[in-house]
Amino acid sequence: MTNTATTPSGQPLGISHKPSATETMFDKLAGENRPAFIGYLPYGFPNPDTSLDALRTMVEHGVDAVEIGLPYSDPVMDGPVIQAASQIALTNGESITNVFKAVETVANAGGVPLIMSYWNLIYHYGVERFATDFENAGGAGLITPDLIPDEAGEWIEASDRHGLDRIFLVSPDSSDERLAIVSRNARGFVYAASRMGVTGERATISSSPEQLVERTRKAGAKHVCVGIGVSTADQAAKVGAYADGVIVGSALVHTLLNDDNKTARDTAEGLSLLAAKTDELAEGVRNAR
Amino acid sequence: MSVLDELVAGALEDQQSRERTVSLEAVKKAALAAPAPIDATRWLKRADGIPVIAEIKRASPSKGHLSDIPDPAALAREYERGGASAISVLTEGRRFLGSLDDLDQVRAAVHIPVLRKDFIVTDYQIYEARAHGADLVLLIVAALDDDTLRHLLALAHDLGMTVLVETHTREEIARAVAAGAKVIGINARNLKNLRVDVRKYDELAADLPDDVIRVAESGVFGAVEVEDYARAGADAVLVGEGVATADDHELAVERLVKAGARVKASETTPLSEHQGPCWGQFGGRYVPEALITALDELERVYEEAKADPEFHKEFMTLQQRYVGRPSPLTEAPRFAALVREKTGLDARIFLKREDLNHTGAHKINNALGQALLVKRMGKTRVIAETGAGQHGVATATVCAMLGLKCRIYMGQIDARRQALNVARMRMLGAEVVEVTLGDKILKDAINEALRDWVTNVKDTHYLLGTVAGPHPFPAMVRDFQKIIGEEAKEQLRDWYGIDHPDAVCACVGGGSNAIGVMNAFLDDDRVNLYGYEAGGNGPESGRHAIRFAPGTGQLGMFQGAKSYLLETDEGQTLDTYSISAGLDYASVGPEHAWLKEIGRVNYSWATDEEAMNAFRDLSQTEGIIPAIESSHAVAGAYKAAADLKAKGYDKAVMIVNISGRGDKDMATAGKWFGYLTDDQAAALDVTGAHGNTVA
Repeated sequence: MTNTATTPSGQPLGISHKPSATETMFDKLAGENRPAFIGYLPYGFPNPDTSLDALRTMVEHGVDAVEIGLPYSDPVMDGPVIQAASQIALTNGESITNVFKAVETVANAGGVPLIMSYWNLIYHYGVERFATDFENAGGAGLITPDLIPDEAGEWIEASDRHGLDRIFLVSPDSSDERLAIVSRNARGFVYAASRMGVTGERATISSSPEQLVERTRKAGAKHVCVGIGVSTADQAAKVGAYADGVIVGSALVHTLLNDDNKTARDTAEGLSLLAAKTDELAEGVRNAR
Repeated sequence: MSVLDELVAGALEDQQSRERTVSLEAVKKAALAAPAPIDATRWLKRADGIPVIAEIKRASPSKGHLSDIPDPAALAREYERGGASAISVLTEGRRFLGSLDDLDQVRAAVHIPVLRKDFIVTDYQIYEARAHGADLVLLIVAALDDDTLRHLLALAHDLGMTVLVETHTREEIARAVAAGAKVIGINARNLKNLRVDVRKYDELAADLPDDVIRVAESGVFGAVEVEDYARAGADAVLVGEGVATADDHELAVERLVKAGARVKASETTPLSEHQGPCWGQFGGRYVPEALITALDELERVYEEAKADPEFHKEFMTLQQRYVGRPSPLTEAPRFAALVREKTGLDARIFLKREDLNHTGAHKINNALGQALLVKRMGKTRVIAETGAGQHGVATATVCAMLGLKCRIYMGQIDARRQALNVARMRMLGAEVVEVTLGDKILKDAINEALRDWVTNVKDTHYLLGTVAGPHPFPAMVRDFQKIIGEEAKEQLRDWYGIDHPDAVCACVGGGSNAIGVMNAFLDDDRVNLYGYEAGGNGPESGRHAIRFAPGTGQLGMFQGAKSYLLETDEGQTLDTYSISAGLDYASVGPEHAWLKEIGRVNYSWATDEEAMNAFRDLSQTEGIIPAIESSHAVAGAYKAAADLKAKGYDKAVMIVNISGRGDKDMATAGKWFGYLTDDQAAALDVTGAHGNTVA
């Protein structure tokens, strides 16, 4: 819990007022009249080195911001594909201390690096320590699937001091009051889950996310991105028509898995499938409006 | 010249220059003519929160420029809307860039107490503060000798103002108290890392009289420091930079106010009536936002039900006529003789017989209570997790009785070692899903249940089986289970003429039977409480489910709550092992974590071997076959007796909670003790009727 970051005079850091990296991205994309394409991949999947190649591939093929997942033993918000990928990463020696390499990789490739993590991993690493290392690596913000603003005191303080975005989730079930609480405490954007449930691809996306985006904006959110279930260019275009960003996870992860959905595909083949899938989705996002 | 000397000299010089324009007499007159001050002491201490003094601060010598604050009145109003209890206005102009003009503007803008913060060393400055409408002034002990401190304090008090007396050391605190200070500012920052240091706070504040208000005055920035100071015992906090430089000042203050209120609520006494969401630092709601609506609904419906006599009536009627409550309290003299033989303690031992409930364990108490809530919420589908199968059976049972659709998640390993319970659940009409993910035990079943809940939360209730998970589960499950201890207490008195036990023993997995039997005794210091975790092959073996012993569990968030957790250096959940499926869990209910932290319950463990020996001991001395889970409490009785003996007891009355019956465990026990021939054991394996102890 030691506060390692201090000012030159030895005082704790104050509130950083540096601009939000994701908001800067949204502003730039607004000029092009298109939504952001946000792609997810767990760090360390299928192994630490290949995952860096995969993250780079995603950025090179049109992902604007990358959600770098931190594999966790008990991912309650994730469906089978991401569970399998996380398990493979853990088996192959993924370690949180190395995730900052992935952050640097994404930043160097020109993407906006986000991390998505279940809270215990960050808590265990040390919230202030994480914020310091993440900022130093060029990180933009953290997505917290199981941390609600009400429990986020330590993270709000650390992210304020380090100028990092706080991305909380909302779901179709969320009341207007909850949407307001999340929107007020968010920095960067709000992550709208397109439907109730865990991550995974779906053949159809219902109309409810559009309403949720609208309600969330009304509740005060400046930017709202939609994730969970988007897997095709058509879906991406449809969602991108009304959301500030389209988040794709399982469909990208899938390309690196064998057909059994349990083991990692041959690396070269996987990366080329990932590039193709990214191209396809990027095309959908660019044609959204 | 120190920084403080320099600041005082400057402030004095500025005061003298003001005095040349406005005489002391004129300032005195204005002070007496000013509207009466607000009694700030009434704003700076409250039972349900930590009052926040929010500061108008443009700069400081240590951090330089902070914020322009062109409109201090507007900022003060934002603070007030955020819930601030007082506004501090720096009026020092040289290094802090404040002014009396700021004070005037703020005074006119808000209805809460206003503090003039300056380097005050003269009568003139005190009168001046009052003349400008201040309700509070700051005096810094380090800048004043004893006589001046006493004099200025008395003058301010005479004018009806409250004085915040700033201190930095124990000596200064003693001087402040001696001078008559009623509100003391305490600086408990560790100068090495500038974090709030609870030990330093304790050291500083230890001898303060109760009627002195303690204001944490340094290093408060955000919720983290407010929580630290509040837990250390501060009554109020003063915050400058953290609110003055925030993007949203109102929200920044609101967060601090909420953080303080949480800490206060988390320390409620009496212990037995604690309602969550936090027990000390433990508990909370570490879950996806998608579950918040359902948890809020559950909390609301439960609160309504608690206040509804009809609900209690229905619950208690079913407890009597369906479950078979009250469960007896059976004296165990032959077992007590064994304990005496081993420990030398002359104990009378009483067994709380939850094994005699319908379905054979305490789990039905909670399953029944929650199922009645499901009806109230109008939901139609129930999901649950189970480890040993007892909670699954209880849930399937009440769902059959109430006509609810039921699905039970069970880790594949547990489903094998408790195959008979799988059959029972299916017989009761429940769908049993074997979970093949992760370690295939209880935690993985809970993960799957949570995923199901996130997806189907509209019509589905998650009937969690223990005092873990997100709020309101820990408090609610405790409430449904506390009947165990309440009955035991009454039975001990009415049946045996004993006023209170000296000790209560229970096993602790998630901890529901333990909380259930202990709750009635939490506020009775005469009762020693003992909780026994699953020791597996012992704490050093790495094969156990001990969360509380040194070197085992660490603080973490798991499946919805902050508690102790078995995890790797990376924060990944560790595999656990126990011969008992029901105790084989990586974390533990947050209330237990708190009871451990405050030292109310003694937690230890029983290994597989100790538990199995106790299983046999109780069976053969009393004709009562306990569940392997409960056998950990029976094994614990020996340890508790030894502990009581060491504490100086010669005689003692002990209650051991027999949370369930051991029929389900006969195959495991038969093999463990070699009561079955190889053929018989093999036959059980072939039919799949029973599992073995699966590692």
